[in-house]
This record gives sequence, structure tokens and C-alpha cells, in this order.
Amino acid sequence: MQALNISPCTLPPECEALRAEVREFLAQTMPAYPVTKRVRNWQGRDADFSRRLGERGWIGMTWPRRYGGRERSSLERYVVLEELLAAGAPVGAHWIAERQSALLLMKLSPELLAPRIVPLIAKGECFFCIGMSEPDSGSDLASIRTRAVKTDKGWVVNGRKVWTSGAHVAHYMIALVRTGTSGEQRHAGMSQLMIDMKSPGITVRPIVNQLGEHDFNEVTLDDVLVPHEHLVGTEGDGWKQVSGELAFERSGPERYLSSTQLLLEMIDASDPADARQAVAIGRIAASYATLRQMSMGVAGMLARGENPATAAALVKDQGALVEQAMPDIANDLFGGVAAPGSDLDYVMQYTAKAVPSFSLRGGTREILRGILAKGMGLR
Amino acid sequence: MSDSMIESSAQRLFSENVDKALLEKFEAGERPERLWQLVEDSGFPVALAAESAGGIGETWSAAYPILRGIGYWQVPLPLSETMIAAMLLSMAGVDVPPGPITLVEQGCGNDLAAREESGALRLSGTARRVPWARACRWMLVSLADARLALVDLADDAGVKVTHRPSHAGEPIDDVELRGARALALAASPLPALARPVWTLGAVARSAMMVGALEFVLEQSVQYANDRVQFGRPIGKNQAIQQQLALLAGDVGAARVSALIACEDAPSSTASACAATAFSAAVAKIRCGESATRATSIGHQVHGAIGFTYEHQLQFATRRLWAWRESFGSDGWWAQRLGEAAIGARSAAFWPSMTQRRFDGLDAALR
Repeated sequence: MQALNISPCTLPPECEALRAEVREFLAQTMPAYPVTKRVRNWQGRDADFSRRLGERGWIGMTWPRRYGGRERSSLERYVVLEELLAAGAPVGAHWIAERQSALLLMKLSPELLAPRIVPLIAKGECFFCIGMSEPDSGSDLASIRTRAVKTDKGWVVNGRKVWTSGAHVAHYMIALVRTGTSGEQRHAGMSQLMIDMKSPGITVRPIVNQLGEHDFNEVTLDDVLVPHEHLVGTEGDGWKQVSGELAFERSGPERYLSSTQLLLEMIDASDPADARQAVAIGRIAASYATLRQMSMGVAGMLARGENPATAAALVKDQGALVEQAMPDIANDLFGGVAAPGSDLDYVMQYTAKAVPSFSLRGGTREILRGILAKGMGLR
Repeated sequence: MSDSMIESSAQRLFSENVDKALLEKFEAGERPERLWQLVEDSGFPVALAAESAGGIGETWSAAYPILRGIGYWQVPLPLSETMIAAMLLSMAGVDVPPGPITLVEQGCGNDLAAREESGALRLSGTARRVPWARACRWMLVSLADARLALVDLADDAGVKVTHRPSHAGEPIDDVELRGARALALAASPLPALARPVWTLGAVARSAMMVGALEFVLEQSVQYANDRVQFGRPIGKNQAIQQQLALLAGDVGAARVSALIACEDAPSSTASACAATAFSAAVAKIRCGESATRATSIGHQVHGAIGFTYEHQLQFATRRLWAWRESFGSDGWWAQRLGEAAIGARSAAFWPSMTQRRFDGLDAALR
């Protein structure tokens, strides 16, 4: 049961100085940023904002200097992330590149790809998307069919990826592809490739979500030629590499801060003397405070070089429960009575439509709970 | 005493001396006198008391394993209450009397009134749900005017204790005071805390609930692995796995909230309490909510056997039901925390989260 324990972690004093800097930056950069945009949170993309964040050294701040990083601690990074997310800053453009892709490149292609690409990510100028899911492969990633065949000129890739967030603005995709036969072991024969999204043979088709927004895409790869050196890591090790990557995808504070704007609107619409409203807000505040400590605990595990995979699954599952309850609580308190066209009304509608994805993206609730069950020795 | 020494001595003492037989005898009316003696010999009742007053002077974080242990092993003693009373009395410069001491916060579940009479303070009114009153010689009353009063419950003329059991069969008695004289009276050593006894009581109950929650989780996982139906352990079913994963999430969240509440609680050596009320509220709410869901899942996984008196699960689940409502239920604390959050408006919400402090919480608690 030890695997499920998250030790709280105390932030060192330098973190609070940094927090003040970030708040000052946000106050100056986005003073009149409307709630209707803040509500998009880390789905909101603004290349200019990403570039300014990069200038401040707040993208990839833990990375080595040779890759454009600032060699600061994971806890300092945590503070910057939670401040950006709580404010609803539009961090979406660089989010995936910073959270996952750069880490993968530095670890698995430290001499070839990382020196070329990662400094651009740190500058907030290079964006990535992740090609994992396919039409017939969602949670069951081992069943992917997109195939890369090694030729003299490079890898030739054919297949289709879906639910690819940001493929329409990304410079590169890290794609999980089949490079060999799976044989006995379902997880064998997969590899990761870094694919330039401008390559001939790539077609990006929008999949509009139920919010009416274009975030997802279907990406068709038709005889796309990828240079040999764009193999990320080891041929055939794709599954192992992806599992490590998903731990990063699941570990951050975005897993409970995505619905903050709704909470803030509810607070301003509430009356402290109304017991029903006070109890509801108080319960959410307690969940927030606890999830924040859990999320910081995971950052502490990363800082100590521990594997946070199980703990991250636990925090993500708990975070999604709180976030998904929020529109229902808002409905209970303000449904049908919020002033039409008000910020509260807008945010209630937006968040209700957004939250079903929170327990789908980055590993479904059922998959996460399977990981927890494994951590408890049940499977 | 080092942190790990407290942890190992609590584990040893409780695991060797508290078992089902003892709990059954306790519920049949037998007082666990020997267990109290062992606990007293180990110094646990004065773990939080100031060293200058003969205490151990530990922090709440260091003492956490004792509190957690009360829940994990279901220790049927007024230990957490005595720890808090000894801490407050020693910090206030009052001699800590020997034996168990119970706690009351004026205005929280009681109509106690105090009046000065010829140089003495006299208390009247009825305090309900006073933990372990019948097992305690002394009662510490935290007065609304930031003073502490110590009452001798053996004062037959001024005190009447009516026995009432909690869900867990532990005493939560009515204490009727008829002009009972305060033996000692001192200024609260923690004037920055609006409701010191109630708040620290909530921290202790939270840590105790975590112990009971961890017991329920371990028992449930064990049972799911052992119990075979349809030719395989029931824990191989995804339906059961999903429930246990949810339970684990609730236990993990409760644990973190209680650890932070202990970290933010004042001690005899560091009496700052800027974040104490906030973190106590968070922990009592979050642990209470976990208790609600965990008892449900724990019983569901155990099936009929967990519903029997024979099985030890119920010693933990009944304590969770008792403790979630003790020193303010999750709903009680949520209303105050929410009142403070709403009063502070949205602009103050996130800064308050990172400081672990809502400026209006003290007022909401008064």
C-alpha cells in the first residue's frame, strides 16, 4: 500500500519569491483577459503568450542549460505552473511540448534531436502534438496499426491518428507507431518517431468537439517520409517509453485546476450567509487545498527522482472527480437563475460541456483505477 | 524522543496490546485500565505538553503516529483529548493533573455560561457529546473569552454526567454543570486561534480517521484477494478493483490533508497558528468525506461477513461514523470555510489557497 502514499512536501522560501514574480507578470501581461478566455485554461492557445513566457525563462525551467533550460527545481516549476493555471493563462500552445515531448527528446535523443529542438521549445516557439490514439485504439494502445517501415531514405509511415490535440498548430508530432510484429507480447514492436507536421503526405482534419471548438484532429499519414534520426529512443521500446511519458502527463496541477474559473464565478455569486452555498463552496475549497498538497507531493517525488506513476494516477482520478462535480454543484446552486449572458452563465455552460473529457484525456478513469488496483496488488 | 521512535513505540504498544478481545471487553463495559497505564508509561498523554512542565514537547507532526495509531488499532482511550488538554494547560502555565482529561469548547454543542463569584469562576449549562467524560476525572473548558478553565468532574455537587455511547460505543456523554467551580483559570496560550479546543480536536480526529481509513483499506484489499467466488478471488473483478481504487484515492487524500493539518498546528515550542484553522477545516472536511465513502465501499467489498460483530471491520467503520461528526462534522466545517471563502471574494481565493489562510475564517468560527 506504500505505493499509494503521497508525502506532503513543503515549498522552500525561494518558491514564494518566484510566485510573486509570476503574479506580477500575469497582472501585467493579461490584466483585462476576459473570463470567457480564462475558462479555456490550458486548452487556450496563444503563441505570443508562450513566447513571452519563454523569454522569462518559465518554459523548461528545470532543464539543463545546454538545452535552453534554467536548471531550477521541480518545485519552482510547480509554483509557476499552478500560478499560470489558477489564473487561466493561455498556456496551451507549448503545454504538451514542455510537459512531455522535450523530456522524451532529452532522455532518448540527447545528442541528435534534443540539442536542435528543445531550446526552441524553451523559447516558446516550438509546439508538439502526441499521436497515440487511433480509430480502433483508445485505451488499448497496444492495438495501434499505424506502421513505419524502415527504408534506405528513412521511415515510411502510413496510418491514422485521432483525438490529436493541437495537431493543426503543432510543428512536430511524437507518434507511436508499429515498427515490428507484436508476436507473443502485445506490447512489443512499437516505436516512437518525431514527425515534422509539414511533411508531405500529412493531412490534418479538424474534429470539432461538443463545445464547438477545434482542438482535436484526425491526422492521416500517407507515405510520410521520416528521417532515420527522428526515431526517438530505441526501436521496439515504444511501449515502455510511452508508459513513462504518461506518468508526466498525469502528474501536474492541471489535473485539478482546469475548472477554477467556474469556482471563482460561483464564489462571487454566493452569499456568505446562505448555508447551502457556503457548505458547497467550503467542500470544494477543502478539495482544492488537498489536491494542491497531493499535486505538490507528486512534484516532490519528481524532485527526488522517484517514479510518480501510481501517485499521479491517484491524483488525476481524484482531481477529475472534483472538477467534474463542479458544474453539477453550480447547477444545484445557480441553475436556471444565473443572469443570462453573465460570466457565471457562460462559465457554467462552458464547464458543463468541457468536463466529460477530464476523465478521458490522459488515461480514462477506468484505466487509472486499474493502475491503482495494480499498485494495491489486486492484479 | 525522535519521530521514528514515537512511530515505532506507538506501533509496538498498540499492536501488542489492543486486539479484538480487548475491544469486545471494552464494549461489554470493562475499562481498559492496564492499557491506559501502558500508554501513560510511554509518555503519550504528554507527547504535546511543554518540556518545562514535564511533557515531551513534540510537534503534532511528530505525534501524528500516535493519533493515526488510535484509529488504525481502534484504541479505546481518551488519549487524543488528554494530549490536547495537557498541551494547552502546560503552555498556559497550569499544572497538568494526572489521568485522562476531556475537552469542551464553550459555544460548540453546549450552552455553558461562566460567571465570576467571590473570586472564582463558576460554570453552568449542559455540554453534550463530551468525549470520554465518564472516564475522565478532569474537563478542560475553552472559554469564548480566550481563557481556559479546568473542571473537576468528580465534584458531585456541581457536575452530573449522563452516559451516552457513540456509534463506536465510546462515551460521548452529557455533562451538566451547576455552578461547577473552575479549579484553574488561565489565558489561552493560543489567543490567535478562535476555537482552540474545537480546532485542535478536529486535527486529532482527522489523524485518527486516517488510521481507521487505512485499516479499512487494508482489510478490504486483503479480503478481496482472499475471498473466492465464481472460481477466483473477488478482487480479480474489475467492478471490485474500481471500487477499491476509489477507496484508495479517498484514503490518500485524507492522509495528505491530515498530515498538513498536523504540520500547521501549533506546538509548545512553535505557537504560530497562521494556517492552523484553515488546515484543520480542510482536514476535517476531507477526512469526513472520505469516511463517508470508505465505510460504504469497505462494507460492500466485505459482503455479509463485514456486517457481523464477529468481524473486526466494524470496529473501524463505527469509529469513522463517530469521529466524522465529532468536533464539527464535515458539513459544519465546510459551512465556515465556505463562508470565509465567499466573504473574501474570488480575487482572494487563490492567494488564500497558497497561504493556507482565509482571513475571515476566525470570524466565521466565532
